[in-house]
Amino acid sequence: MVARSMRAEHGPLRRVGTTCVWSLVAFNLGVLAWMLLTALREHTAIFRSPWGLDTAGQFGNFLKAWNDSDFGRAALNTVLVVVGASVTVVAVSAPAAYALARTRTRASGALSTLFAVGVGVPVQVIVVPLFVMMQDAGLVNSLTGLFVLYVALSAPFTVFLLTGFFGSLPEEVEEAAAIDGAGVVGTFVRIALPLARGGLLTALLLNLVGLWNETLLALVLVQDGEKQTLPLALLGFLQTQQYSGADYGVLFAGVAILVLPVLALYLWLGRRIIEGMTVGAVK
Amino acid sequence: MAEVAYVNASRVFPGTPPVRAVDNLELSVADGEFLVLVGPSGSGKSTALRMLAGLEDVDEGAITIGGKDVTNTPPKGRDIAMVFQSYALYPHMTVAENMGFALKLRGVPKAQIREKVAEAARMLDLTKYLDRKPKALSGGQRQRVAMGRAIVREPSVFLMDEPLSNLDAKLRVETRANIAALQQRLGTTTIYVTHDQVEAMTMGHRVAVLKDGVLQQCASPRELYDRPANAFVASFIGSPAMNLKTVPLTAEGARLDGLVVPLSRAALDGAAAEGLSEVTFGVRPESLRLASADEDGMEMTVELVEELGADAYVYGSVRIGEHPERFIVRVDGRTPPAFGQQVKVTLRDADEVHLFHPETGLRLSA
Repeated sequence: MVARSMRAEHGPLRRVGTTCVWSLVAFNLGVLAWMLLTALREHTAIFRSPWGLDTAGQFGNFLKAWNDSDFGRAALNTVLVVVGASVTVVAVSAPAAYALARTRTRASGALSTLFAVGVGVPVQVIVVPLFVMMQDAGLVNSLTGLFVLYVALSAPFTVFLLTGFFGSLPEEVEEAAAIDGAGVVGTFVRIALPLARGGLLTALLLNLVGLWNETLLALVLVQDGEKQTLPLALLGFLQTQQYSGADYGVLFAGVAILVLPVLALYLWLGRRIIEGMTVGAVK
Repeated sequence: MAEVAYVNASRVFPGTPPVRAVDNLELSVADGEFLVLVGPSGSGKSTALRMLAGLEDVDEGAITIGGKDVTNTPPKGRDIAMVFQSYALYPHMTVAENMGFALKLRGVPKAQIREKVAEAARMLDLTKYLDRKPKALSGGQRQRVAMGRAIVREPSVFLMDEPLSNLDAKLRVETRANIAALQQRLGTTTIYVTHDQVEAMTMGHRVAVLKDGVLQQCASPRELYDRPANAFVASFIGSPAMNLKTVPLTAEGARLDGLVVPLSRAALDGAAAEGLSEVTFGVRPESLRLASADEDGMEMTVELVEELGADAYVYGSVRIGEHPERFIVRVDGRTPPAFGQQVKVTLRDADEVHLFHPETGLRLSA
């Protein structure tokens, strides 16, 4: 084991891998930096020299983007729907995942497989039947409808992720709780949930990021301007820019408004996500 | 306080063929008794304990605690406390919360919980650590927290599943004595599982030996040592293990190389009744001694000497019939024979031999 890891650390494959990873990181950081810098520049200057740094410092772009395209309203909608849906989906999925991880019947095995299959279904394929269903339910063009869809479509992945997580918790601790007098619900709430905190947080964050960027369903389902989410606001902004003469500085500012909160979330809790995803995998 | 009984209890794991992890276990434990379940790995001892805890189903038979049938009662209704091999402490709770968890679930007032936890902590020398999380404790301290969690409950039965196997040798000996003393003091019925026969012999009022899910013998340590019911128990209990060899029978007794061990009339009659010409002959290392030159004895070539200070164990080969057989002899640690030396070995006392049926392994001598 030691010998293997030593070899891996100095082997040529390792060096190639490291180079690839750092190139990718550098590229991404470059794109991010370019986006941020461009968002602070004037339109004409951007076209004169796309990589230049002149005329930087135009914070007015951000104000313009925010005001012109109703980003404030869209941001509020997004926060409400995305945070609500993420919290709800984790709250619903956690008990389901715990039950699937801890019961060993034929039914639980089949159900686990069903959730795993659900992860593999692309939204694009089912968007039309979903729209029809939502129309029948009278939930088209409403944030409630979007919330319901987000919860339903995120559940398979969340259940799948959390089932693995609960399965990796030591069973003896739960047995100790059973002997101490806790019932199934008590064991789940007092023992399993606190121990799975890392996994729950990971599930929450992945859902937040995924739903924050979700465009297709929102585009299909929401028509009213005042009900649109941030990705829709950005799309709308792009369209108005096309008619009224594009200002790329303002456009990049709009993109930055969408991207920065997610980036901040990653900077704050990214470490937790990695820990959450690898727990139980090694050791 | 309560007595415990397994009534023909079995645990059968599905498979082809089904595995009878615990097979028709018939065992009763008196109120306040310290019973040790011992056996090699896979003998079903842990499964038997988990059946009593309610963590494992009872497929056949029944289990009673305090005269009440608990076969289908969930763990929380059995009034038991268990110490796990891994301790199974709640990692997100402090030591005090770990110990008080059961009482909190039972709705005991906070002040009372604090008092009981403090008392148990004093008993186990844990007072300093009450606010720590388990990960900030050493192995020995974690073990004591697990004990404390069991004590605070004041259950009618303690169940312990190899609670010392994660401790180092020195701490294990120390904790062994502490647990035995604590049990004596509390007087709570205790079932203790171990694979270590030294733990079994030193701690238990009675010891139950299991093999392949079947109870081999349940008796006091002394009885188990002096009168093992079969060849398995004879070889399992005692360290180093008893010398067990198949030897031919003569009219006078069992014939070993250069030595005929006289056997009691009852033993000879017993063997004759079974029509045996051979028996499994058992003698413990300490029942053998080195003979002087003019005594009868088995010729043994010394192959290995293990010096333990007070004693030394001499491993050597003796011819029985055609084959060389290995024997272990305990000798005085001050004068052990040298490697390769030829020595004569004889019995310390002709009564200290055990005879078993060569096929069934059952004890023959009365």
